[in-house]
Amino acid sequence: MFKIFKPSPTSYQVKLAGSDTEFSVQRGESLLSSALSAGVQWPFKCKVGSCGTCKCQLLEGKIKPQLDFSYVLDGPEIQQGYILACQTMLKSDLLVSLDLDK
Amino acid sequence: MKFYVNARYLIVPTMSIIAILGILIGGAYAWVGVALFGLNTVIDTLTKDIHLPADFDDQGESYGTKAFQYGVMYFMLPVFIALQIALAYRIFQFTAATPLQVDLFYGIAYQSGISGINLIGAVLSSGLWAGLGIIYGHELSHNKKEGFLVSRLIMALSGASHFTYAHVYNHHLDLGHEDDPATAPRGRNIYAHAWLSHMGQSLFSYNLEEGRLNKQGKSTLNVDNRWILGYLYSLPSLVLFVWAGGLIGVAALFVVWVIANFLLEALNFMGHYGLIRTQGAVEHRHSWDNDSVFTSWFFIEIGRQCDHHVRGETYFWELDDVEGPNYGIGYFSLFVITLIPALFRRYVEKHLVNWDKNYATEDELAVAAKFS
Repeated sequence: MFKIFKPSPTSYQVKLAGSDTEFSVQRGESLLSSALSAGVQWPFKCKVGSCGTCKCQLLEGKIKPQLDFSYVLDGPEIQQGYILACQTMLKSDLLVSLDLDK
Repeated sequence: MKFYVNARYLIVPTMSIIAILGILIGGAYAWVGVALFGLNTVIDTLTKDIHLPADFDDQGESYGTKAFQYGVMYFMLPVFIALQIALAYRIFQFTAATPLQVDLFYGIAYQSGISGINLIGAVLSSGLWAGLGIIYGHELSHNKKEGFLVSRLIMALSGASHFTYAHVYNHHLDLGHEDDPATAPRGRNIYAHAWLSHMGQSLFSYNLEEGRLNKQGKSTLNVDNRWILGYLYSLPSLVLFVWAGGLIGVAALFVVWVIANFLLEALNFMGHYGLIRTQGAVEHRHSWDNDSVFTSWFFIEIGRQCDHHVRGETYFWELDDVEGPNYGIGYFSLFVITLIPALFRRYVEKHLVNWDKNYATEDELAVAAKFS
């Protein structure tokens, strides 16, 4: 009932599908920066949401996009749940799919 | 230390307000904004050899306070609106032929009415400080949601709202490549660059929106078109100046926009002139740093281009010297040099030779050879 007064968690957990990789994301940090801080070899180039290198597929959870993904991702990708990790803040724990070999 | 790190970035807000007060007080004070620009050039030149690193505590945390710095950046939007209103007020008085006389406002003397020569001072002051204020539009273009909108609105005051999208989706992606209109190739002068870069970025923004809307099955001529919307954001300024002075008002606003956009493109020109990137990720070597102390504080570290382009998500107060290509002087000093193309070509030659020798890859050297 008084959910509005409930403090939001200071961090969320992210799990990469198909692997044992798991890391936490502090509130205010992007998915990409937290992954890199945790030592995950997440592909990236520009870090400002313009190149699309850091894209991954959101399988479970809620996010807060920081920029409009549609400039970089096409319609089918967005429908399939692709997101840009560098422009993603978290609203819950996440399960994402990432091709670490690319 | 926390106070020092945060307060040192208040030069532009303070001087912008002084420039506004100068226009409002009137008389020769209308030129205060121009005088401050000159004073800054002197200070920047005298302190060109002082370079300071970013300040972090023992845990590696920055002393910069995000809430405060964002508060200041957001506060600059009403400041720049006030700058335009102050100028419009003076244009209104000029076109209405308000008699020149000294009046009092709560005990403070100001000149009611304005002469033609002092109106020129007010217009130049407004253009210079609107242009310098673009540093906030740039910083906020990298910072999400409401910050992005504030960036668009600040840029719209200078008729340059297209910049926000072009900067993120074009300049940061295509830096150093011929696809980036904001990177000046070797041999181009600042005047040609100002025009080509401005128009190139606007065209990119238009094409970007066209592509996005077409993917959604929408027409380009649509209120969802953010290129069109950006120019619509500039309409209130145009309406204000038409109301204030008709054709004289429009001419004044045009001069303000030309100066502001020229300064914006001068920053792009100085930040990447002659540098080349053929493939791969943007690296430190694809930008010039201008990080003398006054430039760093005044331009909220925008001169740390090498670090900014590699860590575009990083707040300005955390940007540091990464030992990339460095002009070794500040923006004000370099800007004066760029205004004289022959002088700039002579000045920049040794820096380009150094870049070719110590930073460029073989592919980049092959491209450089085409310009020699």
